[in-house]
Amino acid sequence: MKQEKDILTRCGNRRPFTVPQGYFDNLDAGIISALPQTAEPQQVNVTTWMKIRPYLYMAAAFAGLFFGIGLFVDLGNGKNGSDLAQESQITIYSDEYIDSFLETAMIDDCTFYYSLVDTAE
Amino acid sequence: MLFPESEIISIFQDGTDSEKRQAFELLVHEYSQKLYWVIRQLVLDHDDTNDILQNTFIKAWTNINSFMGYSRLYTWLFRIAVNESLSFINRRQQTAPMDSDVQHSMAERLESDPYFDGNETERQLQEAIATLPDKQRLVFNLKYFDEMKYEDMSQLLGTSVGALKASFHLAVRKIEAYFNNID
Repeated sequence: MKQEKDILTRCGNRRPFTVPQGYFDNLDAGIISALPQTAEPQQVNVTTWMKIRPYLYMAAAFAGLFFGIGLFVDLGNGKNGSDLAQESQITIYSDEYIDSFLETAMIDDCTFYYSLVDTAE
Repeated sequence: MLFPESEIISIFQDGTDSEKRQAFELLVHEYSQKLYWVIRQLVLDHDDTNDILQNTFIKAWTNINSFMGYSRLYTWLFRIAVNESLSFINRRQQTAPMDSDVQHSMAERLESDPYFDGNETERQLQEAIATLPDKQRLVFNLKYFDEMKYEDMSQLLGTSVGALKASFHLAVRKIEAYFNNID
């Protein structure tokens, strides 16, 4: 091939690399001394964390996905973030919730009031 | 003395631990230098080559029990060495800045490398080789510097002779174009 001959003429095919003096004299000994004692592949100690880690990651991924889809569906229904926040506050402190709680809790209004104040503090 | 390939393979398969180690030492004596030059032509730097060569033999040793003898021992070692070298280059590429070409910058560093004794044209040839894709670079080095026959290369790389010729031809054309750009 003409192009190969051109390159050969121009550059030759000598390896233009050298090694430190005496490198090859000690190379084999260096390699052999660095080998592990036996040919068995090194065993990796499998910890409990290593065992459960994939399951935890998977659970976290599903939780994230579930939450993301839920948020997406809510936002798709025309509610923005502040609507959702307001709605959740209204749900917690709505009159219906308080009334039904008072009916079944068997406590008077005064006790309930103090419990709300304690919680708020 | 002829290298006792078949005896070594049978020791690897059925020998005791100490026999295996002795046989492996023969393997190191036989092929360490040859593999050094295969790796050096890919990664160019002496210290990197030394590390990769060490890793190559450690990997071979720790996997000796799974060597089934389907290929020649040198082919097996050669493939480990090439894989280790290419992994090394890829790791460097991943940690390098986005726009830098690691292989090319490795070739540029040859100018200040105390273990490079080529002239300016030889350095330019190394730069040109560095621009080639992995397979073409490997084929070019084996054919051009080692003057290896395509049939032997085919066994070593597990690639057809036709594909190897095509790779070499493409590599030569790219290197020729590289020099044309410089001139």
